[in-house]
Amino acid sequence: MEFKEVIGRRRSIRFFDPDRPVEREKIQTILETARLASCAVNAHWLRAVVVERDKIPPEKLSQLKTPVAALTLDLAPVHIYFFVDLGTVVREKGSRLKELVDVGALAPSHGWSHKFVDDFVYPQILEPMTRNLEGYVPAAFADAGGAAQNALLAAFDEGLGACLNTPNPMLTRQVLGVPEDWVSMWVMLLGYPAESWEAGGQRPRPDFEELYFEGEYGKPFKRDEAVVEKLKAANMIQAPAPLPGRRDEIKKLTEELGLPE
Amino acid sequence: MAPEKPIADYETVQTWRSGLREQWGEDLDMALRSSALERFCDFAGKDPDALIAECTREVESGKRIRIKARREYSEKIAEFQAASGSTLLAQRKLGNTIRSFFIHNGIFMQAGLSG
Repeated sequence: MEFKEVIGRRRSIRFFDPDRPVEREKIQTILETARLASCAVNAHWLRAVVVERDKIPPEKLSQLKTPVAALTLDLAPVHIYFFVDLGTVVREKGSRLKELVDVGALAPSHGWSHKFVDDFVYPQILEPMTRNLEGYVPAAFADAGGAAQNALLAAFDEGLGACLNTPNPMLTRQVLGVPEDWVSMWVMLLGYPAESWEAGGQRPRPDFEELYFEGEYGKPFKRDEAVVEKLKAANMIQAPAPLPGRRDEIKKLTEELGLPE
Repeated sequence: MAPEKPIADYETVQTWRSGLREQWGEDLDMALRSSALERFCDFAGKDPDALIAECTREVESGKRIRIKARREYSEKIAEFQAASGSTLLAQRKLGNTIRSFFIHNGIFMQAGLSG
């Protein structure tokens, strides 16, 4: 699938075919995309634990359910729990940043050297940053969120459906036995959609010019309709929800899966 | 429950009915649904409005869901459907009818597939 179409087809899938397993190869592909995401100081905060719904003991699955995700956890055959490893910067002490110097991604042309990392970047910026939790935690989460977004898009590129949920952080850590310095971020529920891939159409979004500005705040970035048409042709901007027949589709799924009406 | 009035006259039952109409675009037959709710009310010893009132509370910023009450009713629905003595499918359908009543009255509820 072309990149723009992957962006266009991504939408939160909440009706999964509970009986259709996800191929291990696809799960690996999804994780590989997260690993290749852009990453500040090459720190790689994102961690993941893959849980197969039918392999985890039922009592543990039950513990992982939140009030808003009890059903989707039952429906999705695979759950990928994303964590942010807050300890990685202090453990690595700038070594991953120096790898970027070694491979020529960061060069003296831009002011970078091993000595700069050892003498300044790690001791004076990175290490103190980890003690300023108000700044460090959001930065690490933002970075990990970008990596998880790669994984999410990869799921759709693989022909799967997916949805991000926020799990209970304490229970998730306890049930999955992750290290103390891993903080729970999201669970990506994964499976083949039981609903059509359109899932009722592209979700409503705020107006473009309400979100983006040019030069300064208050001056909207003007949206060119010719570009919009081009993106429609590339299947990135698609028919908005609700598509005709969505109500019937929900009704059918509700009946088939035995859910509240 | 000793109903003080016909079940259809309770405000929360009317909210349920209009919620179903809004969701599905048509008036649904409420006879079986109301009868199931009536049985649940007997089981819980509360009328429909009292069930919903117990799950919410007013605070300065508006209405809040009482998590404990919602959990208790969620468990009570599970007990109710299990005690109905019918097939598993019918039990789920019965439980989901009651959940639908809570959901359309703004009380978030999910049963999961095993519910």
